[in-house]
Amino acid sequence: MATSIGSSSGPPSHLSPSLVLLQSPTCKPISQGAEARVFKTYLSPPLPTAAAGFNAASPPQVSPILLKHRFKKAYRHEILDTALTKARVAGEARALLKCLRSGVNVPSILMVDAQEGMLGLEWIDGHSVRQLLPGGEEEEDDDPVTADSGEDPLTPYCIDADTITQLIGAQLAKLHKADIVHGDLTTSNMMVRRGRAGTEVVLIDFGLSFTSTLVEDKAVDLYVLERAFASTHPDSEPMFAKVLESYGKGLGQKEWGVVNKRLDEVRLRGRKRSMVG
Amino acid sequence: MDGFLFPHFPAPKSLAQFALFRKVENAAQLRKRIIGAAALAGAKGEEERDAVNFAFIDAKLITSRLHLQTAIHQAILAFTQDSLRTKYVHSEILFYLNPTNNITEALRRYGISDTSTDMIVVRVGDASLPPSNAQELMKDVVIGTIVPFSELEQVTDWGAVKKYHKLNSEAAVRDLKGEEERIAIDRIVTSTVAMKSVMQ
Repeated sequence: MATSIGSSSGPPSHLSPSLVLLQSPTCKPISQGAEARVFKTYLSPPLPTAAAGFNAASPPQVSPILLKHRFKKAYRHEILDTALTKARVAGEARALLKCLRSGVNVPSILMVDAQEGMLGLEWIDGHSVRQLLPGGEEEEDDDPVTADSGEDPLTPYCIDADTITQLIGAQLAKLHKADIVHGDLTTSNMMVRRGRAGTEVVLIDFGLSFTSTLVEDKAVDLYVLERAFASTHPDSEPMFAKVLESYGKGLGQKEWGVVNKRLDEVRLRGRKRSMVG
Repeated sequence: MDGFLFPHFPAPKSLAQFALFRKVENAAQLRKRIIGAAALAGAKGEEERDAVNFAFIDAKLITSRLHLQTAIHQAILAFTQDSLRTKYVHSEILFYLNPTNNITEALRRYGISDTSTDMIVVRVGDASLPPSNAQELMKDVVIGTIVPFSELEQVTDWGAVKKYHKLNSEAAVRDLKGEEERIAIDRIVTSTVAMKSVMQ
C-alpha cells in the first residue's frame, strides 16, 4: 500500500475553498483596509516527493502569492454586496491584464474567485517606494528597511532616489498611454524590486483604477501623486519634478504638453472639476 | 510523474497528477477513442470513459508549470462552485487555457490533434490515491515516453502561443527578444487563464 499524501478528511466542506485558503497555517496577514484584507500564502505546497513516488528530480520552487480578500460587508444588503464585490474583483483583474499586455510593470494574476471576492497575485519581493524615499519610513513597519543602522535603504537595490523617480515616471507614462488611470497613486502603491533586468518599479493596487482617454483623468492621477509626495516626503518638489520629466519623455512631447497644461489647471482648483456634490 | 497539491479543495479534487509525454505515437487513435467513449452507452461506456478520464493537453501551447497549475486550479475551483462551463473538470482545464469563450475552439486548439507528439496528461483526483496508480493508467492509454516536466522548454511553440493570445502587436511583447520576451508572454498568458472567469 503506497503512502497517502493528503489527509483523508480534507477541509470542512461547508466552507468555500478560497476561505479555507485563508485558514491555512502558512497564511499570514499583511495589511487591512476598509475594503479588503491582504495575505501572503501558498496556493500549492510542495509535494512530499519521494514518499509517494513522485518524480523528485527537480523539485520546483514554490513561490508565495498575495491574496486580496474583499470580505463580506455586513452593512450592505447581501445581494448588493455580492454584486459589488464581484464587479470590483473583475475590474481590478481586467485592469491588471490590460497593464500586463501594455508592458506596465504590475504583478501577474494567479487566481480569481469573484464569488468570494478573492484575488490572488504574484508576490512582489521588495519594498514600497514610500519606505525607500526619505521621510516615508515611519509607517507601522514590521520590516524596517534600515534597522537603525543609518544605512541607506537603497543600497540593496543599487540605485539612487533619482533613478527611482525616473522609473516611476516611465511606468506612469506607459500606464496612461494605455489609457489606464490608476486612481490611487501614492508612493505606498509602488514597489521596488530587483528584477531580471535590474531594479524595477512595480505598480500595485488597481482597486480604484479605470479606463479613460480623458486628459483630465490623467492629470488628476498625477495631481493625486503630487499631493501624496508632498505629504509623505519632505522637500518632495525636486523629486516629483523628476517624475514628471521622465513621464513627459515617455508620453511624447505632444501629449505631455496637453497633460501638463491640464495639470496646472488642476493644481489651481483641486481634483474635483465641479464643486457640486 | 508530477503533481500539484491543493489542500484547500475538498479531498476528492485536491490533487492533480500530471506527466509530460513525448514521442507519442498514438495521438490519432487516442483522439478517436476519447470521442468514441463519449458516445458509448451502458456499462461498457462507463468503463471506457473511465479509461480515458484525463485531460489531454497539447504541450506546445503550455508556457510554464505555473501556466498549467493556474488552469488546473481555476478549473477545480469552478467545479467546487458548481460553475463548470463544460461537462467535466478535465475538459474545463482546456476551456480555461483558451482565451476565448468558445468551447469547441478550446478543445480543438488545446486538446490533442491527430499529429500531436508532445502532450501533457492530467488527472484530478483524491490526494489519498497513490500516484503510481495514475501513472500506470496513463501509460495504458498513451504510447510515448514520460519525461521530466522541465523538458517543456523544448516543446513550447511560442509563435503559436502569441498568435492565439493575439500578442504580436502588444506593447509588452513587441520590443522584447529571447528570454525576456518569453517571460513576458508567460506572465500574460498565465494571467489570462487566471482571470478567465471574469473576462468581459
